[in-house]
Amino acid sequence: MPAAILVVLIGAAVFAWRTRETPNEREIRSRLDTLRNEVNTSTKDGIGVAVHAAQIGSYFTDDAIVELGEGATPIKGRDTIMGMVARLQPRTAAFRMDLDDVTIEMVPDSNAADVLLTASFVRRNISTGEESLDAREYAVVMTKADGTWRIARITTIDTLR
Amino acid sequence: MRVVVLAALSFIIFKWVLIPIRAEGISMEPTYRSGSLNLVNRLAYRYRKPERGDIVGIKLAGPHVLYVKRIIGLPGEHLSIERGQVYINGAPLNEPYVKNRRGWDVPEVTLTAREYFVVGDNRGMRAADHDFGRVDVSRILGRVIF
Repeated sequence: MPAAILVVLIGAAVFAWRTRETPNEREIRSRLDTLRNEVNTSTKDGIGVAVHAAQIGSYFTDDAIVELGEGATPIKGRDTIMGMVARLQPRTAAFRMDLDDVTIEMVPDSNAADVLLTASFVRRNISTGEESLDAREYAVVMTKADGTWRIARITTIDTLR
Repeated sequence: MRVVVLAALSFIIFKWVLIPIRAEGISMEPTYRSGSLNLVNRLAYRYRKPERGDIVGIKLAGPHVLYVKRIIGLPGEHLSIERGQVYINGAPLNEPYVKNRRGWDVPEVTLTAREYFVVGDNRGMRAADHDFGRVDVSRILGRVIF
């Protein structure tokens, strides 16, 4: 039996070693977590909507690009993103975003990182309470400027083509 | 001591062998209802290839969020859907698991040596609301066993 405990302990140590993160990776993960929380915070009053959109916009670089997939026009620039967030606000009251399977790969010799993640969007019908879920895979490029990680590009990956 | 071993064993099994999943959405109805609990066998395709009719878990960025779909097209095949009827290499495919069918139309696609064609059982939905299509074999995590 002590051998079994040893195996478990070695397994746990190997698992911990393999899943260790650098400070930059931890920072990026934390940034994405706070972005998710920000997106999931709903507000409906005019000033609140503008502040909320600005807060979400602060997670993007000035020239950020969001590619929503084949056939859709890319969204270019932080201001455009903020405008879209502000317009979507009343609807996002019944909207929740989750981020799963976040893998971070630092680009060597640069202040950039490639992030792969699954974003799930749960929409709740306000009148019926019925929920629908839509999950998509995204490739995200993040860059660090002035000590802060921001999203420079989001590309939707077509899992099923 | 037994509890520790049992916990370790459960961790290994449910992390690397049988992945518990909860179906969300209606795309696999009536086979799987939204909210049903299922298991994906990650070892199912260790010694054999996925087959037509298998219900599989398809990973997105990782194993925590999966698409659950049925394989209807195999590598190398020509597949099309005309008014809801699936054709494989020009022959109609018998699909007893499909209870409702809308008139979906999908132009013929030729699957590569690494591609499968997957779709949900609920064809009563609008095609635009249903995720389906070609998937690379590397994305198939395993077979849904119930």
